[in-house]
Amino acid sequence: MTDAKTLAYINLHAILGSIPYLCEIDERAKELIKNEKVSLGFRVKGGPSGALCFANGKAWFAAECDSCNIILPFASPEKFNGMIDGTVTPIPSKGFLKLGFLLKKFMPLTDILSSYLRADEKALEDPVFFEKSTLLMFHLIANAIAQIGNVDKVGQASASYIVDGVIKLAIGDEHKLFIEAKDHTLRVLPDATEKFSSFMRFEDIKLARDLFDGRVNAVAAVGEGKVRIGGMISQVDNVNRILDRVALYLA
Amino acid sequence: MRKTYTYDKSREAFARAMKVIPSGIYGHLGPAEGCYTPVEAFPFYSSKAQGTYVWDLDGNRFIDYMCAYGPNVLGYNDPDVDAAAAEQRALGDCTTLPSTKMVEFAELLVDTVASADWAFFAKNGNDVTTLAVMTARAYTHRKKIVFFKGYYHGVSPWTQKIDYAGVIEEDVMHNIYVPWNDLDTLRKVFKENEGQIAAVISQPYMHGNFMDNVMPAPGFWQEVRKMCTENGTVLVVDDVRAGFRLDIAGSDHYFGFEADLICFCKALANGYNVSALCGKEFLKNTVSGMSYTGSYWLSAVPFAAGIACINKMKRLDMPRTLIEKGEKLKSGLIAAAEQSGFDLRVTGAPSLFYLRIADDPTLMLHQEWIAECVKRGVFFTNHHNHFINAALTDADIAETVDIAEEAFAVVKKRH
Repeated sequence: MTDAKTLAYINLHAILGSIPYLCEIDERAKELIKNEKVSLGFRVKGGPSGALCFANGKAWFAAECDSCNIILPFASPEKFNGMIDGTVTPIPSKGFLKLGFLLKKFMPLTDILSSYLRADEKALEDPVFFEKSTLLMFHLIANAIAQIGNVDKVGQASASYIVDGVIKLAIGDEHKLFIEAKDHTLRVLPDATEKFSSFMRFEDIKLARDLFDGRVNAVAAVGEGKVRIGGMISQVDNVNRILDRVALYLA
Repeated sequence: MRKTYTYDKSREAFARAMKVIPSGIYGHLGPAEGCYTPVEAFPFYSSKAQGTYVWDLDGNRFIDYMCAYGPNVLGYNDPDVDAAAAEQRALGDCTTLPSTKMVEFAELLVDTVASADWAFFAKNGNDVTTLAVMTARAYTHRKKIVFFKGYYHGVSPWTQKIDYAGVIEEDVMHNIYVPWNDLDTLRKVFKENEGQIAAVISQPYMHGNFMDNVMPAPGFWQEVRKMCTENGTVLVVDDVRAGFRLDIAGSDHYFGFEADLICFCKALANGYNVSALCGKEFLKNTVSGMSYTGSYWLSAVPFAAGIACINKMKRLDMPRTLIEKGEKLKSGLIAAAEQSGFDLRVTGAPSLFYLRIADDPTLMLHQEWIAECVKRGVFFTNHHNHFINAALTDADIAETVDIAEEAFAVVKKRH
């Protein structure tokens, strides 16, 4: 019920795509990249491509990887997914002199990311860590929704029913992400907007976590007022169907 | 200004329900699927119902325009229907041998529904839409089914979509989806799938959610009928929702064509649990040979209720009565909207009207207005068509329009 190509898109855009946000919220990540000026491209045959760029103590994700300092080519989505799983060691096609970045910066960054995304129960008892971990998941899930809606066969069916507009996902009043639907293609907007056509708001960070971990169902939470939906609810309904598939890919 | 309702007791009951019932209230009567937005504006449970009214647990009275999502056609607790049901209950209901009420009911439907040569009974709309599709497949020995986008034919896996929880690709792999009113695409689909399409299934007009309801284009149904006949495909009309609110002889009759199979439920027995598949003679043998039944499908009380309901609907010329009431309400609501400068669209048949404030494409304004109506005692819902019942009086319509007017004013002031 899942496919390697969609997983590769999720791995690149949602998992590795979370690194820029990680570098905003985690001091160790900030420290790792503070003096780096490097771009790391991923080119997957029959799958996604993109780049993680680092400069001036910031990180961002770019769609193009041709001009990157380092390029990691993968023969297939499966090989790329293997790198994410730790079963495949990538060999750069460009940037051999920058291998130090891969080993000393990029790998530790992914380790920090894993510590948040695969957090153990003990670590989650710390409320600050809990919040950071949940917010990273929030970013990851929003991006995974876009990838699944665009690439996965079943996700595409859901996206085909989403009318054009912007769906606002929010945790409380503070944390917001926006998914744009245009011609049934989804993308997470880089910036906030007040022009959204529908919304799904989780009451607080705890409820968001429970939803992300599958302990609570959004439909059930609507009746309790813990999840609020409004506007073009058909958009939310279909995003919620894609959300169900996120867990399938990230399990 | 009216006092707005609160729902403390509904919430208490819902908290209990959440512990023992998945999602508290599942399905179309639930707050999520019912699009209760904001949820605080809506009651969750009823304590009683009478005529066109329903009372919630907190004692709030509502003029109910959802009519239990259709079954309430004569008014809740209609004395004639209830008397017939009570009489039969005293004799027997769910018994080893079926009652001849079943035969009477089938005879009545065959006499009433223009395209019916026989009737088969079950409990819910989904039971008979599923039987219709199985019948078409059994008769034609074909697999594919054509749907019109925006459809709703129940909850069995074949009626759902590939992305619905619990549905697998194989459940829907023979479904073909065509835009409503698009004859060119339908023609193309028939050509590309020659000899493979078992059935075309459709509601009599497009009463999908989140969108204005759309009537068939002139000549649409006649052309669909022709294509089905030419291709040996069974034409199924799902009249579960609209049945008897457009035409007592069936909605295919209203639109001037004949279905091969037609499905009824909702208005069939004024709330007693029975559904019916009616069909043409040439399909009777096929259905005779099918294994399809249920524990309560031959219960006699709903048959007695159905007989009384149909006879009363005939006496009262029900579709005309409901359409007239709907027209009155429609013009009142549109005028109320105009007073506050809103553009209220009322689409679909007046007896099954669909509402949308067109000033805001996000529908948030619409949801605000619906919420203000509900809090004042008019039970509308956000994105589903509504239903008129025979017990609705001119005074109820006037009260509804008053409340709608006040709700529009409240929303206008807020913006």
